[in-house]
Amino acid sequence: MTGIVIEDVSKSFTIGKGSVQALSDITVTLPPGSFTALIGPSGCGKSTLLRLIADVLPPTSGTIRIGDKTPDTARRAHEIGFVFQDATLLPWRNVLQNIRLPAEVAGIPAVRDPRYLIDLVGLKGFEEARPSQLSGGMQQRVAIARALSLDPKVLLMDEPFGALDEITRQRMNMELLRIWKETGTTAVLVTHSIAEAVFMADTVLVLAARPGRIAQSIAIDLPRPRTLAMMRDPAFNGFENAVRAALFGDEVEAA
Amino acid sequence: MSGALARSGRFWSSGGWLGAILPPALVLLAVGLAVEWAKAAGLLPITIPAPSQVAAVAPAQAADLWWHAQSTLRNAALGYVISAFVAFTLAGVALSLARAERPILSIGVAIDCIPIIALAPIFAVWVGAGPTLGVVIAGIAAFFPLLLGAVQGFKATDANARELFHVMAASRWQRLRLLSWPSALPFIFAAFKIAAPLSLLGALIAEWMGTDRGLGAMIIYALFSFNVPVVWLTILTVCAISALAYGLIALVESRVVTWGTDAEAGG
Ligand SMILES: Nc1ncnc2c1ncn2[C@@H]1O[C@H](COP(=O)(O)OP(=O)(O)O)[C@@H](O)[C@H]1O
Ligand SMILES: [Mg+2]
Repeated sequence: MTGIVIEDVSKSFTIGKGSVQALSDITVTLPPGSFTALIGPSGCGKSTLLRLIADVLPPTSGTIRIGDKTPDTARRAHEIGFVFQDATLLPWRNVLQNIRLPAEVAGIPAVRDPRYLIDLVGLKGFEEARPSQLSGGMQQRVAIARALSLDPKVLLMDEPFGALDEITRQRMNMELLRIWKETGTTAVLVTHSIAEAVFMADTVLVLAARPGRIAQSIAIDLPRPRTLAMMRDPAFNGFENAVRAALFGDEVEAA
Repeated sequence: MSGALARSGRFWSSGGWLGAILPPALVLLAVGLAVEWAKAAGLLPITIPAPSQVAAVAPAQAADLWWHAQSTLRNAALGYVISAFVAFTLAGVALSLARAERPILSIGVAIDCIPIIALAPIFAVWVGAGPTLGVVIAGIAAFFPLLLGAVQGFKATDANARELFHVMAASRWQRLRLLSWPSALPFIFAAFKIAAPLSLLGALIAEWMGTDRGLGAMIIYALFSFNVPVVWLTILTVCAISALAYGLIALVESRVVTWGTDAEAGG
């Protein structure tokens, strides 16, 4: 299992003549096999942080290590799985072909049997279906199966269930935890939902905006496996309140 | 389950081609009948014949029509294919050299802005009024839509999909083959469909510069001998060939682009 170490990472974008500081001095360690949730107001740099880890963008300063590798080396070794907010499936490929894509690009046999993955995400019988024939939730499950197909050491998810209804979302979250447990991958989930963050994560990183920085790191000390019943637990509400307080600061009392 | 899904998908995409052909056929029939009636009622000028008059001259003209059509078709097809090669090559340059894109598209626009009818006599002076002129003008007429379709098509990849390919550490060639090319196909087919009738028109106009073979020449002969039904027979033949070329490309497209796309409106 592979951890992620982020040290003094800053990222600024140049827009025209000016520059925007998207992230400032992020330092955090995500232990191997852990589940981390990133939450914060929009524009605080959550997606940017994921992109830095996945080597889609280089940091302006600071270093990121994935295990003993740089993000670039980890990416080229196919150790990173990425799930976007919209499924980003190739519409001309069916479910099975979409899940096979990473192995095809890497030129190696799939590490996890695509048919097993289809089973894992509950899409048995839909192997030959085109993305346009699937619901949003099913498409997102294909995207997760695709991200898992080379058994990545880290799984990065940028609001993967943001577009789904509450019920589907809850179901997907349960499945995701089961998959995460089964694969032992180090997971990072960007979310807008406080309850989702607390339900899923070992650690919730609350980000603040302008510039994007870690306002607070909250360890979620709830037993696993997590169950829906836990959401009624006072301890669960306590963690939710802690996250809410970190997100809104004094506004909570003022309102 | 998935089998049923796939079947219903196929049903909607290529199925019911009778349904695609029937409405225009009925409209054509209705227009034909209306013109026939208007002609009989004496409402139409002498330059518009009754459809039955056109049909009456068709058998005697069939051999001539075929002989002329062959030449026009050959010129149009050759111009079309050469134009596609040039357009795709230039699109490739425009896409791999960011600085080249604007100049190349500007040249395309400039060529597209000059009316073919004005270009034809100029080229007639250079290459003569023979078949070569037909090929050249057909190619020029088809050029801009093909260039634009290729450039736009290859740029039409989804930003997230590009990031996905980056995360997967895909090579340039893999990106082209697995992402850009399929994304471009709907645009390319749209361009091919638009360009086909244009190159036929180009070949026709070239023949008006004074050649003795081709449907354009046949129209001119018929005009000069004031054989109105033959003029119309020729015009209708050109229309039919245009529609057929468009339909053929659309048929190939429906076999190749079997996924739903946003670019369908372009066709
Ligand atoms: N490619 C980019 N170019 C310029 N600015 C960017 C780019 N990506 C993100 N930003 C800016 O960085 C900040 C953080 O964006 P983002 O990471 O998308 O936020 P979040 O995902 O938390 O909503 C925003 O101010 C955004 O405008
Ligand atoms: Mg975001």
